[in-house]
Amino acid sequence: MKKNLLIASILSLTVMVVSGQTSQQPPGGKRPNIVIILADDMGYSDMGMFGSEIKTPNMDALALDGVRFTNFYTHASCSPSRSMLLSGVDSHLNGLGNMDEWTAPNQVGKPGYEGNLNLSVTTIPQLLKDAGYHTYMVGKWHMGKSPDKIPAARGFERDFSLLDGAGSYWDMTNFTALTPNSLYTEDGKYLTKLPKKYYATQTYTDKLISYIDADHRDGKPFFAYVSHQAPHDPYHLPRDWRDRHVGQYDYGWDMLRAQRLKRQKELGIVPDSTNLAERMWFVPEYSLLAPASRAVLGRKMELYAGLVENMDFHIGRLVQHLKDIGEYENTVFIVFGDNGAEGTDLAKMIGGTPGTRDYLYFASKWSQTDINAWGDPGSYVGYGAGWAQVSMTPFSQYKGWLGEGGIRNALIVSGPVNKRKKGSINNGLMSIADIMPTLLDIAGAEYPKNYKGKELPPMIGKSWLKVLSGEAESPRAKQDYLAWELFGNRAVRQGDWKLRWEFTPLGKSDWELYNLADDPNERKDLAAANPGKLKEMLALWDDYVKKNNVIIPSRSVFEGLYDQLPARFPVDPGYPPLINKRQYVPPKELMTNPKQ
Amino acid sequence: MKQYLSAVSSLNVRNLIIIALMLIISWPNVTQAQGDGPRFYWKGLMGTNAVPVIGSSLSGNANPMDPSNTPIPGASFEATMATVGYAKMLPIFKRAALVSVIVPMGRISGDVSLGGLKYKSMARGYGDPMLQMGINIIGPKPIMNIPDMIRYQPKFSVDIIGSLAIPIGEYDNTTPINIGQNRWYGRIGAPIVWQLGAWVPGRRTTLEFLPAVWLMSDNNDFVGKKMHTEPMYQVEAHLTRDFMERLWGSLDVISYSGGKATIDGVEGSSLSNFGVGGTLGYQINENMQVNASYSSTINDNKPEDLKMDGFRITIIYGWHKLVEGMRRLKNE
Repeated sequence: MKKNLLIASILSLTVMVVSGQTSQQPPGGKRPNIVIILADDMGYSDMGMFGSEIKTPNMDALALDGVRFTNFYTHASCSPSRSMLLSGVDSHLNGLGNMDEWTAPNQVGKPGYEGNLNLSVTTIPQLLKDAGYHTYMVGKWHMGKSPDKIPAARGFERDFSLLDGAGSYWDMTNFTALTPNSLYTEDGKYLTKLPKKYYATQTYTDKLISYIDADHRDGKPFFAYVSHQAPHDPYHLPRDWRDRHVGQYDYGWDMLRAQRLKRQKELGIVPDSTNLAERMWFVPEYSLLAPASRAVLGRKMELYAGLVENMDFHIGRLVQHLKDIGEYENTVFIVFGDNGAEGTDLAKMIGGTPGTRDYLYFASKWSQTDINAWGDPGSYVGYGAGWAQVSMTPFSQYKGWLGEGGIRNALIVSGPVNKRKKGSINNGLMSIADIMPTLLDIAGAEYPKNYKGKELPPMIGKSWLKVLSGEAESPRAKQDYLAWELFGNRAVRQGDWKLRWEFTPLGKSDWELYNLADDPNERKDLAAANPGKLKEMLALWDDYVKKNNVIIPSRSVFEGLYDQLPARFPVDPGYPPLINKRQYVPPKELMTNPKQ
Repeated sequence: MKQYLSAVSSLNVRNLIIIALMLIISWPNVTQAQGDGPRFYWKGLMGTNAVPVIGSSLSGNANPMDPSNTPIPGASFEATMATVGYAKMLPIFKRAALVSVIVPMGRISGDVSLGGLKYKSMARGYGDPMLQMGINIIGPKPIMNIPDMIRYQPKFSVDIIGSLAIPIGEYDNTTPINIGQNRWYGRIGAPIVWQLGAWVPGRRTTLEFLPAVWLMSDNNDFVGKKMHTEPMYQVEAHLTRDFMERLWGSLDVISYSGGKATIDGVEGSSLSNFGVGGTLGYQINENMQVNASYSSTINDNKPEDLKMDGFRITIIYGWHKLVEGMRRLKNE
């Protein structure tokens, strides 16, 4: 027995040396477990502790037990965000320079634009596994489907994963006639069917709990990537979660945004001077809508709220289980959404044109359109731009775009690494790419120059440990910048300044410049008034392009949008008076019946 | 805005208009032998109006217009009836209510042996008009507007109904074969609708019951005799299921008990019979619904047992001013 242990120890040491890794067992004992909870398309203000009326007691409890970060950036859509999360490398180098679904002709075949997490990078689970962690994943993957790209091949010991970007929560139905089935893997094998009584959020949680329990006694810490499908559309949720907000959203997005902003100010999430971003010009003023329209549109938000609450419930189950087995106190939680809330109607985009192949496919698979069927298999509900802007209160725009509403998200970090006051708020400039160096620090591991014989691209993130320990307010120095490019839209943030280029009509198809300290909602373009700052920021953009292999796509999902949306005019509340002015009531003493 | 709301207008509101009018198909049935029928007590948008035309063909050993369903051994009745009426849904005491009036008409012919006399005759004309009022006591609040309609699900609902027939229909005291009944009668009942599963057109399933008691005053001139009838207890049960969004069906069972008739002191038998049948319903358009049903008594081998069977076609035309206005705008 002793001999076996000795051999195992020598082998482990050898593996670590060969792979260039070292793990540091902290003097206090076991290294912390790490749980990343990623909510798909959850917006900045959707958690209670970030201003939401949606009931999220379990995520709120993590916030109150940890720190909330208000200046945390992801990418503008899911797979680029996820690739940067797991690799710590910019999306244009790690294979998700564009989403697989939208790779442009001039990007095809170019390194960095494979449409999956390419093999030139390593991943958090690979490095943490090498450092002695168990590594588990449940939920959405969206970074490759071939055997060398699935979770098991990228460092996860155990997994139950949806390989696609979205799909039914109830079964294997996917969205297009050519890709009718969602693909799932479990522990590295492709599933031919789903478990009995499958419901995504519940099954993911059940699986993860079983993985944790199976290894619990061996003394090794674990890393769990809980990549929830919720609350991505379609809004599929069990019936008993659908009617918890009936009628609550009939008053609409304008008022709800104002309410959330008020709460955000009370909570200290945003400064008191913050205003709401302009409502998107093609989204109607809610007060103009008929009660029936309000109820139908409000029902979509009711379902979204139920979906978030259901997810929170299952997060609560996981947290409670960790408490029950005595692991909660030694677990780091990192909770956030992967990009802005979804304001685009994906169903309409794919299956909304009569006479097309995918319209026929939607007719056969996604045609449960009755409002009482919403949430069931075969129904497809997304809440649209009006509610997406609520989720992104107080910002402008939403998923896919590089306005703050597309890329800024709420972040909670709790657990033993946090030395800041519990429940506190930090405004440091954070990036999703920071998570790789942060977790390596937590695990006592290092990012190697080479991995399995390949030179690794540099990480672009900064560890949060000094921020979490209270030694720094931000992981970034003044000169550090963050930059993004997706679907041809571009942005750079340095300090309070933000440079942005976006397709019309959401952008100007030209560079815009904003000072986010004064104008977090990007209402006032300062480019013309600040040519010097514009030039400075453009230089940073050029630097980013050069260092990160950025190829501006020759085609874009947004290229024809100017022709699809109505002409853009300013949104002025109460305009036009023609339909907003109330009946004039004369003074009573001047009213009379007609003379006969 | 128009673009943004296109999904609402084209997808949901269209369906809602259909639903709004589909849900009012509640008719007190003059041909009591067949019962009120399935999906009879579903609720609709308050303010909805409806006009039914019910055609039925019945045969058996009891006068189908007689609420007591008193069988006459050896008798043979044939009836071809039509019923027209008007109903309106409205809220009363913040509960959903329905008031309606119907007038039966048509002809009945038959061979009857009664008191040693044989009658072979035909009656035609108008029957006793019937008023009915029903109010929900357990279940969702009344459907006051389209948002309420969107959120409506019956779940488990119970109504109280009261019906009263006014004895002004055609009556001939020389024959037991009549359309009018020459006496007051009515009923008190408690219809129950129990939603099973999702409330989604195409998938709706309900289990429905209607226990009711019929009360009848004496007919003091029944072929020159006095007819007294004890209360008759009737229980209907229906298992209904959507086959498609607009097509549904139902298995129907009805039981009769009590209702013993005494004619000039000569007692008859109490009822103890069952009828079974089926119904198919189809929503033709936003305004019109058609139902077809057939039912027949079972365990009816003895001469004193109720023997009755019949076909019924019901066409209902419904309208609501809000829905009509939306349609006019849509057609502009």
